[in-house]
Amino acid sequence: MLVHSRGARWALWAVFLVLFLPLFALPLLVVLGASFATHWSSVLPSGLTLANYRSATRGEALQALVTSLLTATGASLLALAAGTWAALAGAALEKRGKRVLDALFVLPVAVPSVVVGLSVLVAFSKPPLLLNGTRWIVILAHTVLVTAFAHQSVSAAITRLDPAYEQAAASLGARPSHVLWRVRLPLLLPSLTAAAGLCFALSMGELSATMMLYPPDWTPLPVLIYAATDRGALFTGSAVAVVLMAATLLVLFAVSRVRTRASYR
Amino acid sequence: MSIRFDSVTVAYDGDLVLDSLDLTVEPGEVMALLGPSGSGKTTALRAVAGFVRPASGRVFLGGRDVTDLPPYRRGIGMVVQQYALFPHMRVDENVAFGLKARGTARSEVRRRVGEALEMTGMAGWARRHPRELSGGQQQRVAIARALAIRPDVLLLDEPLSALDAQLRSGMLTELARLHRELPEVSMLYVTHDQIEALTLADRIAVMDRARLQACGTPQELYRAPANEFTASFVGGANLLPVTVGSGGVEFAGALVKVDTAEAVAGARATLCVRPHLVGLGAGPNQLTGVVREIQWRGATHRLYVKVGEHDVMADVSELRNPPRRGEEVTLHLAPDDAVLLPAGVSHG
Amino acid sequence: MVWALPPVALLTLFFLYPLALVVQQSFRPDGGGPSIQPYTEVFASQAFRQALWTTVWLALASTAGCLALGFLLALVIAFVPFPGAKAVARFVDVFLSFPSFLITLALLFVYGGVGMANGAWTGLTGAAQGPFQFLNTPWGVLLAEITYFTPFVMRPLLAAFSQLDTAQLEAAGSLGARAPRIVRTVILPEALPALAAGGSLVLVLCLNEFGIVLFTGAKGVTTLPMLVYGKAILESDYPGACVVAVVNVLISVGLYGLYRVVSRRAGA
Repeated sequence: MLVHSRGARWALWAVFLVLFLPLFALPLLVVLGASFATHWSSVLPSGLTLANYRSATRGEALQALVTSLLTATGASLLALAAGTWAALAGAALEKRGKRVLDALFVLPVAVPSVVVGLSVLVAFSKPPLLLNGTRWIVILAHTVLVTAFAHQSVSAAITRLDPAYEQAAASLGARPSHVLWRVRLPLLLPSLTAAAGLCFALSMGELSATMMLYPPDWTPLPVLIYAATDRGALFTGSAVAVVLMAATLLVLFAVSRVRTRASYR
Repeated sequence: MSIRFDSVTVAYDGDLVLDSLDLTVEPGEVMALLGPSGSGKTTALRAVAGFVRPASGRVFLGGRDVTDLPPYRRGIGMVVQQYALFPHMRVDENVAFGLKARGTARSEVRRRVGEALEMTGMAGWARRHPRELSGGQQQRVAIARALAIRPDVLLLDEPLSALDAQLRSGMLTELARLHRELPEVSMLYVTHDQIEALTLADRIAVMDRARLQACGTPQELYRAPANEFTASFVGGANLLPVTVGSGGVEFAGALVKVDTAEAVAGARATLCVRPHLVGLGAGPNQLTGVVREIQWRGATHRLYVKVGEHDVMADVSELRNPPRRGEEVTLHLAPDDAVLLPAGVSHG
Repeated sequence: MVWALPPVALLTLFFLYPLALVVQQSFRPDGGGPSIQPYTEVFASQAFRQALWTTVWLALASTAGCLALGFLLALVIAFVPFPGAKAVARFVDVFLSFPSFLITLALLFVYGGVGMANGAWTGLTGAAQGPFQFLNTPWGVLLAEITYFTPFVMRPLLAAFSQLDTAQLEAAGSLGARAPRIVRTVILPEALPALAAGGSLVLVLCLNEFGIVLFTGAKGVTTLPMLVYGKAILESDYPGACVVAVVNVLISVGLYGLYRVVSRRAGA
């Protein structure tokens, strides 16, 4: 389209590959390769083994996987509920109110996650809400962090929603609650699942706030990976990282399956 | 049930989109709101549906003031250009939606859905999803959905403009049949297409620039339009600037005999003549001019003849030996076929 | 209006109120009365000034790198498509769903002291040490941040490019414009809003990035988020941590506000 000469096109593709492969494909491949190795001090890893996975799928690693899955599921569902509620309420407000609400709910994106962790730590380390040292403080922080993303994507979906549907429903005599449950939410379902997937992935990989908050009995996967690499166990860490990526992708894939089925059947 | 607009005014951000509309649709009547885009016709319809709040004025349905009622409590059926069928529901679920929303008993829902689909000829498609249907079929389902709740008022907002020409004329016939089968339902039909309005409506309200320009039966509007806009928008017309004389008007130096009973001698006025009522050759009220353009339109020839300073359009049955461009021809028009209008934009 | 209250109440309780407490604590050394002493102390410390400078220049440099690289890559995917370009675009989406520290982890294997690059070098030349020793320096963080955040620029760009009417390009081409000229006069203006939006988002995310820096494990590279973590968790100096947090929030929220204004102007 843009470049017509064959030579120039090949040259551009070559540049693309030279930039793209080492920068983006290589890191993932390297982590994958390392997870099956015990040494890596030349071009290819050596000492191929499955031992890393054996330790990455039992004991504290398995515990951490369960912790991460529970945290991410809990946080993304809570965030989806809060974010969707806020987005729906915002859509009903007039312009200025909506803008204020949007700004409030988008704020957690701009505030560093470490600071969100610190603030939650400062606020909930004392009664009446003593959450520090429990799993709830981790789930709470994750929820705060991902709600902004849920709100943003649901909000965008609501603005894209053709008002003709709800108007048709209203003209047929459906009261607003009926319109919400039977028309708007079903039509938003694809976006809701997409938002849930996004929140889940973000929560699975959350490290900054978690590092400030996690109690010893609620160690999510990223913390475990950090602990492993910090003590030099890079290859075990890689295997745990692959488990983390695989779990995230599996859930995202399942969510996108739900989404395809939900989108206008 | 009647629909009445009582000086309904709607403004968006200070822009008047509907300026003090007074209009009544009688029970069982089909009223077309005809006008170009931006004329306020859709706004008027949406004010009846309850999606637009008038800045002032009231809307009445069957004598009841509904201006402050939310849409879902007005009990009207509405069909819009893009159908707005719920994509996540089957055809029968779409049609059942309004009944279920009112808590109608299940057996009754089934019966009424069947009835509505039968009436629109979509009974065989009940278990399909909207995206599996063609545009025309979707429009039938949208109509069935609106009819299932047995509304006394049916609002149709450009219902045919998303269809191609052939389907459109078929659907037009269908709508006319539906109206015969449901004679008690009042219909407000918004369109920019004069053919739809002329075919379907009992009366037509012509809208332009947020205002009602004229209202009357199709025949009245066509034969005796009230103003230049109505004349040109309904059917198309020659609008010739003339000066009123005695027993006729003066146009391009010639005296044209028409009824001048309501005009003041010496005043400027506009003579409105439908092109197909202008004849070629000698006859009453002869005008001579030069053919500027000639178009063959199948059954007719359209001539643009320069008479004095002005173009006069004439539609004549297909000519065996049509005049050439630049040739001088004689036109004529019967005194009864011309209507004198108040002077307007054609005097520029 | 009433319906907006419950989510706002939750947000206030779990986000705004804690944030306010952080601000409050930053003015209260050791539970005493209000004082700006924590600020004077923190501002005077060499570590803070160093971290502030490192954070800002790393974020700016990463953003510049992401913009240049993202624009080039998106340009090729969108306008010089090759078999599999769609798959690459999908891959970019997947990339976004992984945590940032994976990149640092991978770089440890590639450029680490005994990683593949250095290993290959020592194997080839017999030298005792490889030449790639930048991983523990800010340059390592820069490389990781550019790698991780470039997709954040590519995504809005690809969306903007898909909106661009190819007829425009063809018209420009048929009028005799060559590719660089088309890029400059047709594509770049169309892409500016997306570049501005993506760029400011990446800038904010870089300012706040923690995982990449933590995994690098370099003593020499301390950013503001690292300083917050260090002061709070490792030194238990809460007022100090709160001061750094307030500074960090002010910078990033200010920039994010700018980003929102820019992206709204651009209609993105």
